[in-house]
Amino acid sequence: MDIAESKRNDTVILALAGRLDANNANVLEDKVGALLDAGEQHLVFDLARLDYISSAGLRVLLVAAKRLGAVDGQLGLAGLAPPVREVFDIAGFSSIFSIYPDVASALKQ
Amino acid sequence: MSDALMLHVKNRLAELQRMDQLVRNFAARHALPEQATFELALALDEILTNVISYAYDDAGEHDILVHVSLDGCDLRVQIEDDGRPFDPLSVPTPDTSLPVDQRPVGGLGVHLARRVTDRLVYRRESGKNIVLMTKRVDR
Repeated sequence: MDIAESKRNDTVILALAGRLDANNANVLEDKVGALLDAGEQHLVFDLARLDYISSAGLRVLLVAAKRLGAVDGQLGLAGLAPPVREVFDIAGFSSIFSIYPDVASALKQ
Repeated sequence: MSDALMLHVKNRLAELQRMDQLVRNFAARHALPEQATFELALALDEILTNVISYAYDDAGEHDILVHVSLDGCDLRVQIEDDGRPFDPLSVPTPDTSLPVDQRPVGGLGVHLARRVTDRLVYRRESGKNIVLMTKRVDR
């Protein structure tokens, strides 16, 4: 998995590419943890190039959403590919996360 | 026509990606639909992740046996490990309707595996955990 970080105004965009599984979820967890520790409150995950996610990846997103919810922050997910969307649907994550077709629409919120 | 794949997996999470590739190669060889291929890979990943992460009390190397077979439209994946007894069906089904702040962290892996397969059964035999998942595929 590759993680590319960028910032637009006060929103941090993390673009994930490849495969997010139990073997590398800790890399993302550390990255997100560091951003939240630094006081970031607006995160958008660009998932357009993420091919695969397992429950280990969902866990990282849920932990981030809980932390952000506690500080009135915001977490948006953009560009989910069909397999990733299916995992979100089965896990019941599609209804609890803000999901956008692309990063541009996520940034408008 | 039937075909089978017997794979030896070490108890390391780095093995997950290698397994994914081997299963996708198997699926491609039989022209399985994209969604079924993904679901097969996910179910195997989730069960293997649990075994590798939680089954062993020691830090030593263990061999996990994965058997994938296709017989007509019936896809079977069997995972066999010599770790401590663990029945994945004992994991409670998560309430996927809870809001973020009430969602427990974890417990989704087995749920995903069960939902993307038609049947998941467990047995303990000769000191081994054996998980068998079956799935009907359109071909």
